[in-house]
Amino acid sequence: MLLVVTYSRPARRDLRNVCRAHEDCVVRQFGRAALFSGTEFGAFQALRLHEKHGLDVQIERVEPFEPTDAPTHVREAAKRYESREEPATPYERFASGRDLPDPDQLRGVDL
Amino acid sequence: MKLRIAGTTYTGAVVDLRTRNVDGRTIAASISGQRCLPVVSCPEPPSVYAYAGHIHSSMGLRTRTALAAAARSRGYETPQDDAIAECRAQLAELECSPPELPAPVDPVPESTIDGLQEAVATHRGRLTARQAVGADDGAAQADLRDAATELSERETRRAAARETRELRRERARAYRDSLEEQRRLADELANLRRSARATLVDRCAEPFARAIEAVPGPDPDSPLDADPVTAALGVLRFAKTPAPVVLGADRFRSPTAASDCLDAPVIRC
Repeated sequence: MLLVVTYSRPARRDLRNVCRAHEDCVVRQFGRAALFSGTEFGAFQALRLHEKHGLDVQIERVEPFEPTDAPTHVREAAKRYESREEPATPYERFASGRDLPDPDQLRGVDL
Repeated sequence: MKLRIAGTTYTGAVVDLRTRNVDGRTIAASISGQRCLPVVSCPEPPSVYAYAGHIHSSMGLRTRTALAAAARSRGYETPQDDAIAECRAQLAELECSPPELPAPVDPVPESTIDGLQEAVATHRGRLTARQAVGADDGAAQADLRDAATELSERETRRAAARETRELRRERARAYRDSLEEQRRLADELANLRRSARATLVDRCAEPFARAIEAVPGPDPDSPLDADPVTAALGVLRFAKTPAPVVLGADRFRSPTAASDCLDAPVIRC
């Protein structure tokens, strides 16, 4: 899929118009961004906006993500942290002393 | 004030142009410096003139905004002023012009590289085989050389294409970061100005109410609900008015009465 983000009022207006006129290629619309289908038609609509508004339109390719796409230790950490007893505990403190990765370690590793 | 219209010069605090058939809008534009003619020499009008400098029966008025400008003309300050100045300075400093990007380069497909690597390996294998049996290896050597050269060229192009892509993304990101920053600052500035306006309106509510009572016109339920002409007159009476006010509505007995009530030079059109 393609993520289209706009950075100016005119670009945002045109994005809204494209979304209204071509619902079939719009997976989801947010305020000043939208997710277009990963088809040539989706790319065509995204590129039209880019042609007209230049760098005020950002286009990114978006890959589907399933929990299983993350390594087990990351999933496990998320699961255990979210079922913590003390809601005010920051993750860093929660992880230390447990068998969980510390946040800096997670930050340094590409998915 | 000194005013020159079609060969006639008018001076003094009150000028009556009702017999001259002049458009009040052009006079007001001259006073604010948006036009050169007719020539009006007078002190520079403060920002409140943009709202209430020309009074006529079909005018509209954002009373609160005008009143805040009037308060400014009298030197009122607000706790937000420093933050507003800071915010403006940051906005002015922010570089937001789109950067020059290197032209996009078509990526070199991985499959091309893979194919060439395979070709190089095949040619190398053939060459080794021919050399092992002592056969003529000239053609095999040439093939290997050609394939290796092409592979290396493609690899160079692939590296260049990747570099260009990274550079384009980096510059685009930096530009968009500055656009986001600009948006954030503009929002902050708008919020600050809104609260400064509210502070000013609040602080001059009483003098404005007295001004509304003092100027001619229908009595409103609340001063801020006054009709545009009455409200504008109230704003002007409260404001500091060194420059002439263009008056195109019949509210006063005479232009002189208007000038006295508003404590302002008046041009009656």
